[in-house]
Amino acid sequence: MVYARDIGDTTLTLIVSGKLWRNSLIMMDEETGTLWSHVLGEGIEGPLAGRKLASVPSVQTTWAAWQAAHPGTRVLKKSEEIRSSRYESYFQESDRAGIFRTFWLQDRLSAKTLVHGLVVGPHAVAVVDSALGPGAERLVEVGDATVTVTRAGDGGVRAFTAGGVEIQVRTAFWFAWSGFYPNTTIAD
Amino acid sequence: MIRTVFLAAGGALAILLLVSASAQRPEPTVHGVFDGDTMYTLLPPDAIPAVRNPEYVTGVEADRQMSADEPVIGVTAGDDAVCWSTWHLDHHEIVNDRLDGSAIAATW
Repeated sequence: MVYARDIGDTTLTLIVSGKLWRNSLIMMDEETGTLWSHVLGEGIEGPLAGRKLASVPSVQTTWAAWQAAHPGTRVLKKSEEIRSSRYESYFQESDRAGIFRTFWLQDRLSAKTLVHGLVVGPHAVAVVDSALGPGAERLVEVGDATVTVTRAGDGGVRAFTAGGVEIQVRTAFWFAWSGFYPNTTIAD
Repeated sequence: MIRTVFLAAGGALAILLLVSASAQRPEPTVHGVFDGDTMYTLLPPDAIPAVRNPEYVTGVEADRQMSADEPVIGVTAGDDAVCWSTWHLDHHEIVNDRLDGSAIAATW
């Protein structure tokens, strides 16, 4: 996820709190000590509880696809050699989902189905990754809003409202998505 | 092909990995219940170090440190494009960054 980290006149420095909620990262800002959900972008406890960080639309793709589409890109410098995920074995176990016992909707999709989540007001839709081929463009109803979802040239999935405003796509496994948005519908 | 190895709970895994690797094996404690779900404390703040002052390389330089199928999170604004490898983010979880003059954070 990518967020703007200004709240009013204060620029927040976000660090890892060491806490987990709904099997996901809780951040803390050094300026106020507020705890923030990395998935919701919302203050959970502390002086800024209830405030929201503005989402910056981002995509998840591969280095090769990103570099081809954005040859001038800058890349965070690695201070050491890192050639794999720390969690390779975790990703390969299809039935192991959260860390703690967690709630998700097992009967609708398998736990590690990759989905691209859209949220408009109280409405949530999970677009199944395999439903979006290269260059795909499809219209998805999210509550009363019609959202255009595309697989762009850089391989990333992007979403736009009817007015052309880009909205955040939250790419996640089904178990994580449905734990946060149990009222979600599915587009597959 | 795009490898489908993305997870909203990347940060959760990093924390658990550090807990299981430490000699003391600290037990999770319950911090509180929020919106019906329990929040656990596993590590002190900053045990996994967020990036506060990011350094960058160009795409050409990055080719030496990146694999073609390495998953990245990317954003663009104006002429600026930046990406962060999720394999790299496994070690930090958060990058405090700037994009087109605005303060942003990439979180994993």
